[in-house]
Amino acid sequence: MEDLLEQLLHGLTLGSMYAMVATGLALMFGVVRLINFAHGEFFMLGAYAFWFSFKELHLPYAVAGVAAAAAMTVFGVVYQRTVIRAILDRTWHVQLIATLATSIVMTNLAMIVFGTQAKEVPTTLSSTVITVGGLRTTWQRLLVVAGALVVFGALHWFVTRTKLGKAMRAMSQNREACAVVGVDVQKVALVTFAVSAALAGIAAALVTPLFNIFPDMGALLALKAFAAVIVGGFGYVNGAIAASFLIGIAESLAGGYVSYAYKDAFAFLFMIAVLLWRPQGLFGRRIGI
Amino acid sequence: MLALAVLPAGAQAPQPIRVGFSSAMSGPSAITGEGVMWGATMAVDEINAKGGIMGRKVEVYFGDNKGTPGEAVSAVRKLVDVDKVDVIVGQTHSGACLGSMPIIKELQVPQVTESCSNPKIREMSGKGGNEWQFRVNIDDLMMANAFAKYIAKNARTVSIVAQNDDFGRGAATAYDAAFKKSGAKLVSTEFFDRGQSDYRPLLTRLKRSNPESLLLVMLANEGSVFMRQYRELGLNQKIYARGSLATAEFLGQVTDNPSIGDGIVEASYWTAALDPEWEKRWLERWKTPVRIHGSLAALAFKYAVVPAIEQAIRTTGRADRKSIRDALTQIDVKDTPIGPIKFDEYHQAWINMILIEMRGGQLKIIEKITTSPALLQ
Repeated sequence: MEDLLEQLLHGLTLGSMYAMVATGLALMFGVVRLINFAHGEFFMLGAYAFWFSFKELHLPYAVAGVAAAAAMTVFGVVYQRTVIRAILDRTWHVQLIATLATSIVMTNLAMIVFGTQAKEVPTTLSSTVITVGGLRTTWQRLLVVAGALVVFGALHWFVTRTKLGKAMRAMSQNREACAVVGVDVQKVALVTFAVSAALAGIAAALVTPLFNIFPDMGALLALKAFAAVIVGGFGYVNGAIAASFLIGIAESLAGGYVSYAYKDAFAFLFMIAVLLWRPQGLFGRRIGI
Repeated sequence: MLALAVLPAGAQAPQPIRVGFSSAMSGPSAITGEGVMWGATMAVDEINAKGGIMGRKVEVYFGDNKGTPGEAVSAVRKLVDVDKVDVIVGQTHSGACLGSMPIIKELQVPQVTESCSNPKIREMSGKGGNEWQFRVNIDDLMMANAFAKYIAKNARTVSIVAQNDDFGRGAATAYDAAFKKSGAKLVSTEFFDRGQSDYRPLLTRLKRSNPESLLLVMLANEGSVFMRQYRELGLNQKIYARGSLATAEFLGQVTDNPSIGDGIVEASYWTAALDPEWEKRWLERWKTPVRIHGSLAALAFKYAVVPAIEQAIRTTGRADRKSIRDALTQIDVKDTPIGPIKFDEYHQAWINMILIEMRGGQLKIIEKITTSPALLQ
């Protein structure tokens, strides 16, 4: 029983990480209709931003986390202005190559700038072990889950209560109609990228004290997040979040009870199984965040 | 024409010798290639500063095998076709090494391997196999019997945790057989993919099977995260290792808590203590802790490739690929930091094996074992 709880808690930690990355992907697809193949590298860059703030600038953990999110917000804006604006009206082939190329450039730049040796950013929270009902864990793992829930709450408030958020939802339903009624489509696209990048930065700040940071850390993570977005119903944010947790838990249980070597395969088997059963995804109804 | 004909031979600058180093310069194993690049640059600069090899300068070229068999083929092709190298040092990773062996044979370029430890490499080299492949480092089949005996003295049961590639799988097979001979019981074998940062499910599996000791076949990047999560879960098995856990790379990643690796005993053939002068020069030049794979590549170059080229020039007057290969079979370098380098009929050198213990952030050689083919029995 304790063993099962351990796997479930671990699955929730993984799910939280996938969910924060998948949410960014789903937002971008939902609002701007673009699949960002460089999203794993957003997470990587966020991780390095956090490492720089925390380890090099010696900022307190919370401040370093906010700094990473802020840096990524700026990066999201720059990315939208440079890479995305030029390809937004082009075919999906062009978008695929452009975002994929950005991903490769970012990974290799990170190797040149930060080196290839993995960086570690343990915090007091990640090195303090606590025991709850026989379950050994660290505060950091609990913080990842709690932090993710707070982030999703804030995001929900943002897209349902604020004018910009409502514009994002509207644009995800009908871009042309939004333009006709005077919604600043470019601005909404910009905000979408800023929010998505900030989410990757927050995820990195929460998770990296548990893991380590290296230039191509984003590759596999992006694939899992894609799986979550597909399982959740493409472009549907709540679906992507729920699917991320399901994938995290499935992966943790498979790794713990079936085979650790093939745990990543189980995440994708889960995706294939869902698509066979429900081609539109678990929660897919229509495109729209 | 006349002018050319009367020019004394000495007036022509001697042809430089081109040496290629192939390792993982990108991808999840890029840390090894970065080290190889530093080590090779340093070793070649030092040789050139002394006037080169018998008056001929050495030019260094690099190939990126990404640690994979397929990319190793491209790396060799680039080094041979574009850079026109006379000899290759490297591949670092077992999979890349095995992948490169058919192509070095096809292109007829000698390759001296510094740290690939899949046992198949010796089986496939030299007599009756690939005449172009030479290996300086010893492999897991050679180390397994001696190390398994050492482990069996301290623990009755053991689980293997190995990376899911030719290095990890080769070691797992070798130790499986060695544990049977030594009397230690192998409880389970787990594999993980490189670049993994989450070991909790694996650790809970180990907690369930509860062996007395663990044999970790992994490199520093994964090892440091594994050890953190191992301590987090409160496991207390004795830890033995193969890879690069008892290294400066590992310690460089756990500076916040250097005692995280306390008690790890690693079977290896290189540690900085074997060559403190080299470590000092490395630190001065690169301002970062000395790396194991870079140092091994430099050693293979200095103590196998350079003597072979000297021998080739002395006996044939040339340093082409074939004469270097023939010279490699004859070299006998007795005194190197890692032991003697003399290739046997399977093109294998029998350097020393060492056991390194990590404690309080310090690495200590606790045993030095001379090796010979008898270890395979």
